[in-house]
Amino acid sequence: MAVTGSPEAQKSAGGISRDVLVRWAPLLVLLVLMAFFALMEPRFLTVRNFARILIAASPALMVAIGVTFIIIMGSIDLSMEGTVSVCAVSFAFCFIWLGGTLASWAWLALPLALLVGAVLGFVNGLIHVKLKIPSFMASLAMGFVGTGLAMVMTGGDRIRIEDELFRSLLTERILNFPLMVYVAGLFVLIAWFIQSRTTLGRNFYAVGGGEELAHGSGLNVDRVRVMGFTLAGVFFAAGALLAVGRIGIAETATGNNFMFLSITAVVVGGTALWGGIGGVWNTLVGVLIVFVIGNGMVVIGLPGYVQDGVLGLLVILAVILSTDRKSISFVK
Amino acid sequence: MRFENLKPYFPWITLVALVLLVGAFNPSFLSLSSMVSLVADIVPLFIMALGMTFAIYIGGIDLSMQQVANLVTVVATVYLMQFGVFVGLICVAAGFLIGAASGWITTRQFVPSFVATLAMGFIALSGARFLSGERALSMNAEARDASFAWMFGNTGGVPHEMVIAGVLLALAWFLQTRTTFGRALKAVGSGELAAISSGLNVDRIKILAFALSGTFAAIAGLMFSVKLSGGDANLANGFLILAIVAVLVGGTPLTGGVGGVINTLVGTLIVVVIRSAMVYLEIDATMQQMVFGVILIVAIALTIDRSKMRIVK
Repeated sequence: MAVTGSPEAQKSAGGISRDVLVRWAPLLVLLVLMAFFALMEPRFLTVRNFARILIAASPALMVAIGVTFIIIMGSIDLSMEGTVSVCAVSFAFCFIWLGGTLASWAWLALPLALLVGAVLGFVNGLIHVKLKIPSFMASLAMGFVGTGLAMVMTGGDRIRIEDELFRSLLTERILNFPLMVYVAGLFVLIAWFIQSRTTLGRNFYAVGGGEELAHGSGLNVDRVRVMGFTLAGVFFAAGALLAVGRIGIAETATGNNFMFLSITAVVVGGTALWGGIGGVWNTLVGVLIVFVIGNGMVVIGLPGYVQDGVLGLLVILAVILSTDRKSISFVK
Repeated sequence: MRFENLKPYFPWITLVALVLLVGAFNPSFLSLSSMVSLVADIVPLFIMALGMTFAIYIGGIDLSMQQVANLVTVVATVYLMQFGVFVGLICVAAGFLIGAASGWITTRQFVPSFVATLAMGFIALSGARFLSGERALSMNAEARDASFAWMFGNTGGVPHEMVIAGVLLALAWFLQTRTTFGRALKAVGSGELAAISSGLNVDRIKILAFALSGTFAAIAGLMFSVKLSGGDANLANGFLILAIVAVLVGGTPLTGGVGGVINTLVGTLIVVVIRSAMVYLEIDATMQQMVFGVILIVAIALTIDRSKMRIVK
């Protein structure tokens, strides 16, 4: 989606190198935003409010991390809304069928949901690679299939999960933060491990950095792609579980809004849509930026109709600030 | 005739095959009157897809179109009494300006169009919610008929909205194939660096392309507004993804430079045939979304021309 300029252009001009500045720009944006909202309204800085932000952000964070792997490869995955819905609904059905409480065999529904996500991602990857359909279209169509499948499974009904043990994801707090925040943190660590400590993670960057080069050096690019989409599916499923844990309801609409939200967050965090740049930490920062903006606007009392527009403006600003303008000639 | 030479016609072949297939199951689908009403119903979607074609043709995407259309429905409803038919001009100008702003943010500020247009869409949504006061507004019926009744009339069995769609298609086709601007669009889409090197003012061309897609979104929004006789910040929701799908199924790839407005015509028709086929074939309402996705995958697999893609991303 963009072409990088000559290597010399990326060198620093003395002092703090621009490389460093660009790498930390998303975090700076996040800190500036938090400082701004804290100045406008001191209540923004309370632990209660931070917990609120993190609870809202956790499901989206999982989805955004999943799609980060795909974007690093230079592809895109738009199937998350469907995948999240299907995972949420199949988790709920299985959970209730097996007893309806985590204390019984119903805990099996948790790994099952992750498995369902993996299968959907796997199919998505196969369609993209084997039928040679660009990932944008393949995953978009798979998203329709997913949303449709969830609709068929539920018939449009909502399924309530009232098990206290499962809902402790939200209700049980350690150091003022509910369990689901820690679960999300655990998944971030797993994602970071996969990204930086496994061959698969390296291969994502190899594919995104230059696919022909990766292919030429003997990498089975197709396999890496399919595995990437499968992995993304697992993280979408994790997002689905947290989403159900947060509101206690699984339905077709559970997946709504995740698509644009997660991709915006990934880009705001500094991961480039053309692949090879960025990663899990960028996405964490990006998701926090988006949710801090959303929460901050409510806390300082902006009227509802202004909030969308301000979010749009701030997103554009955040991307402008975290883009290294000297090193790219154009973007698409 | 060699197989290779057939490739540009894949979307057409898919469309004809789909129509015949549905017709075989339910012959009433093939009647002229049902087809005309089918096509007339999708005109706003088609106009939106036409605009989207320009953004995708240069290798970008415009995700603000739905919100621009939403904003326009509100603007048209609120200012109809004051300006009469000239409210159309205000709407089109608003679409042009929002599109141009998206283009400027993409080209000059290096924000990928995916995010730039999405964010501009949020800004347009804010405008729509503010202007409408978060309510669904309805048009004054007399003022509407006085200014815009011509949009939905019927002359000799031909619905006027089809004529409008035809005129816009001709205009877009003329722009794309018969003007230097159209040539420049193709050059930018097939290789931006080469286009810059050959001295084209690429930034201006891209900004204009986005402005055009905004303009078409505004026209689509205006038609919605008149057709439903009202305005609302959510009126056009659900059309964005369909417009993108229509462009892609027609054979204009996201990488740009190939395809064009005629492809979009075919793509829109394919999407509409699939959607309405499910009604004709009496597929259960809860199943429709899933069936749509599956057929879409098959249709895309059949229609896209992979000969110019070295890497499928």
